[in-house]
Order: sequence, then structure tokens, then C-alpha cells
Amino acid sequence: MFRNQYDTDVTTWAPAGRLFQVEYAMEAVKQGSAAIGLRSKTHVVLACVNKANSELSSHQKKIFKVDDHIGVAIAGLTADGRVLSRYMRSECINYNYTYESPLPVGRLVVQLADKAQWQVCTQRSWKRPYGVGLLVAGLDESGAHLYYNCPSGNYFEYQAFAIGSRSQAAKTYLERKFNNFTASSREDLIKDALIATRESLQGEKLKSSVCTIAVVGVGEPFHILDQETVQQLIDTFEIVREEEIAPADPEPAAEQGAAADQGGTENQGGAENQGGSPMDI
Amino acid sequence: MSSIGTGYDLSVTTFSPDGRVFQIEYAAKAVDNSGTVIGIKCKDGIVLGVEKLIPSKMMLPGSNRRIHAVHRHSGMAVAGLAADGRQIVARAKSEATNYDSVYGDPIPVKELADRVASYVHLCTLYWWLRPFGCGVILGGYDRDGPQLYMVEPSGVSYRYFGAAIGKGRQAAKTEIEKLKLQDLTCRKAVIEVAKISIYGVHDEAKDKDFELEMSWVCDESNRQHEKVPEELLEEAKAAAKLALEEMDAD
Repeated sequence: MFRNQYDTDVTTWAPAGRLFQVEYAMEAVKQGSAAIGLRSKTHVVLACVNKANSELSSHQKKIFKVDDHIGVAIAGLTADGRVLSRYMRSECINYNYTYESPLPVGRLVVQLADKAQWQVCTQRSWKRPYGVGLLVAGLDESGAHLYYNCPSGNYFEYQAFAIGSRSQAAKTYLERKFNNFTASSREDLIKDALIATRESLQGEKLKSSVCTIAVVGVGEPFHILDQETVQQLIDTFEIVREEEIAPADPEPAAEQGAAADQGGTENQGGAENQGGSPMDI
Repeated sequence: MSSIGTGYDLSVTTFSPDGRVFQIEYAAKAVDNSGTVIGIKCKDGIVLGVEKLIPSKMMLPGSNRRIHAVHRHSGMAVAGLAADGRQIVARAKSEATNYDSVYGDPIPVKELADRVASYVHLCTLYWWLRPFGCGVILGGYDRDGPQLYMVEPSGVSYRYFGAAIGKGRQAAKTEIEKLKLQDLTCRKAVIEVAKISIYGVHDEAKDKDFELEMSWVCDESNRQHEKVPEELLEEAKAAAKLALEEMDAD
């Protein structure tokens, strides 16, 4: 008769010491379409898969600019995500007004986690946890950062991470390659983001209409790449894909070769050479 | 478990017929499942150590710290839900600064432990709240010398010579009991704590990666709560690994 008595309330502990309502909120993150983030020493790239609800509708926006140096990608309940990104924007503005300097990413993430944790959420019977996971990308005086904020009020700093539906494939790809990300160039990061996105599409063709890419980095304020740029990037990298699929296994080799080719591109050389304060945007 | 299905275990404000509050016991379970946290009081100070389990290898080392500074002379190590722990730490910090601003003196560790415990206890008194899913070990140094307290989700706080919570608390406690705390210096204790958490407690088969996080408040650190110096931490880890290999060889 009782399937689970302990899962209807955030204020009820289950006998094993679990909070089911919080765990269910974390499930909501897995229902949303995938969001991916990866970072190098100087840049952070966010990518997400766009899913339209019907053929007649457009997709929901999943990447938001918070400030010149911070942006987020969300997975889960978009409405909750928008509430939180609005909160983040106002925190950034207030900090900037008070201290005349941009809000350090680590600080914002703690504030966000605290908001998800106690003012709203996992400890009061009349509230619910937020049903959204946020990948927070940002740049501050200590360099580029990527954080994952969870409905449980936890936050983690990552080199690379993927959340949302079918993100496991993307995660597997990132786990294989994340060791090289610190030294990656901007273009390489975007490329890896695109490949990771493609992994999470599971067979569906990667087009600029099904994904969004955003970048923040040294000398580059947070911005979402426009569709043509993304399509161009996909077209360049799609060639790699053909090479990758043709031989049975040696795909890492093919990718590394391609990565080496990319390394020489002119335009990110400037970013790497700057070396000065990463805060200068 | 006899408690399940009786209906007496669904709210913190419900006593069971034999006088227990099951919700608090369940919250304590969350603590028992977390990585081990150890605190010991030595001759010249306090050492805190945490076996921090790392869920993903893509997570950056050093992120998600479980040991927090509360005031200049005291620090806190958290076991259980890290998010709940942040709340307790925030409260402890504000109690400490508040005391300082009223009395112009750093808060005595006993007072701090009492205030934190009352706060934790508060959350066990109302149906619309839930008890904290975390336990904290609080270490500090005041004019009465180094002191170590542990606060549990029920809101009790006891003073200890050596305390351990989390998964490996039983094993850790047995190991701590073997130490001669009266004549152990903090420098030596750091190595002992590393040994306990690396080979005494950590279950390599079951748990994934972990990071050893340590801090101290002692004469050597000028009675301030600080991270254990990097080179000492490395030395301790190396000693612990060596001890582990010796154990395996036997």
C-alpha cells in the first residue's frame, strides 16, 4: 500500500539517511536536454543541445549571459533556471556597484548554492528544491572556472562536465580527453565541445540549429556564438568526423592529429600570449 | 527496522511510543554514510583531517573543501551533506564575529560549540524544518588551551580528546585510542591522522578516489586555524602510503 512514505516531503529523512525530494529534483536535471562545459587555462566553453517542444515552436534558451565575465548553461526546469540566472545577474550588478570590480566566480557560485540550499529550499516543508542544474562558466583574477551547481545545494568545480539527458556519452568523451584541456586553445575547446555535443545527440546529425555554443575567456567577454559561426565550425570539424568514423578504432589518433593542426591557428595565439591578468576582458 | 511503516518516523516533532525521535536517527544515517572526518587534541593543539571522496575524476583537486575556518582561532570539519554543513559554518562564523564585536575578545571554543549546538538543535524542534544531515567536528584554541568538540545532528555537543564521524568512524576511533595524546605533538599527529585516514579507514574497493584534507590550530601555527603546510601534508601522505604498503606486505 505504501510504496514510499518518505519521498513526498523535503523535510522527511528516509531511514537510510536519504532525502528523496532532493534526489528527485536532481532527476529533473537529467530530463532536460544536455548542457556541456569545458575549460582551459584561459577560456571556458559552454555548449547545449536545443530541443524544441513541437515542430511549430522554437526551442527554449538554455544559455544565459550573467555578466561580461560570467555565463550559465542550464539543464532541467528552464523556468527555475531563469529565476536563478536573474538572481545571478543582480548579484553581479550589486557587487560591481559596491566594489567597482567584477564578482569573483567562486563567490557567486557559493551564493547561488546557498540560495538553492536554505533560503528557498531543501529545508523547509513549504518549499521545494530547484529542479535545475547550472553549469557556471566564468573568468576572474584567478583564471577561468567551470562550476556545476546542483539542486541539492552542492557545487563542484570541474575541468569539464556534462549534465542533462544522454549526457553520459558526452561525459565519457570528456573523461577521455579532459587531461589535455588545460593547455587547449580556444578553437580546440570549441571543437571538443561540439564533439561532446554530438555524442549526446546519439546519431542525430549535428547542426547549428540543434546546438548553442558560448565562450568566455581572456580578452573575450561572455557571448553566445551566432548560428552561422557555429555552422562554419561544425563544417570544419565535420570533416574530422568522417575520418573518425571510417577507421574502426584509432579515433583518438585522428583527433589528436587534427588538434595539432588546430593548435597553429593564428587568432588564439594572441589570447595565449597575453598572459597578463586574466581579468582584463 | 521496526520503525518503518509505523507512522512514528515521518516527522521530527513525533515521538515514538518508546520515546525516540526517528527522524533525527535517520538524519544521523546521512552522516554515517559520508567520508570519514577525524579530529584529535594533542599536547599543543588540534588536528583535523577529512577523507574527502571525489565523485568524478574531472573534478578539480582542492575544490569543495570540507574543512572551514570559523574564526582566527577555530575551524570546523564537516561530515555528511556538504550543503547543510555550509549553513552550520555560516552560523558559526556569524556567532564568532558577533561575540567578538560584543565582548572584544575571540569567542571561547566552549561557547562557540554551545551556540552551534543550539542552532543545530533548533532544527529538530519544528515540523516544518528537518534536522541537519551533517555532523561537525570543531577545533579551537583559546586561553584554556586547545579544545575539540563534536556536534551531532541531534544538537548534542561533547568535548573530546579524539573524535571521528563518517563511514570509517569505528576503525578510526580504535586507532585514535591507541595514540598517546598527552605527549603527541601536532606535527606528529598530522602523520598519524594521515595514516588513519589513508590505510586505517579508506576502503579502496568500495570508494573511488579521495583527497586528504587537513588543518590544525596549534602553537606551531601561532594558535591560528590554518591548512597544514603543503610539505608536511605530503610527508604525512608518503608516510601513510609507506605504512599501507608495509601492512599489505605482511
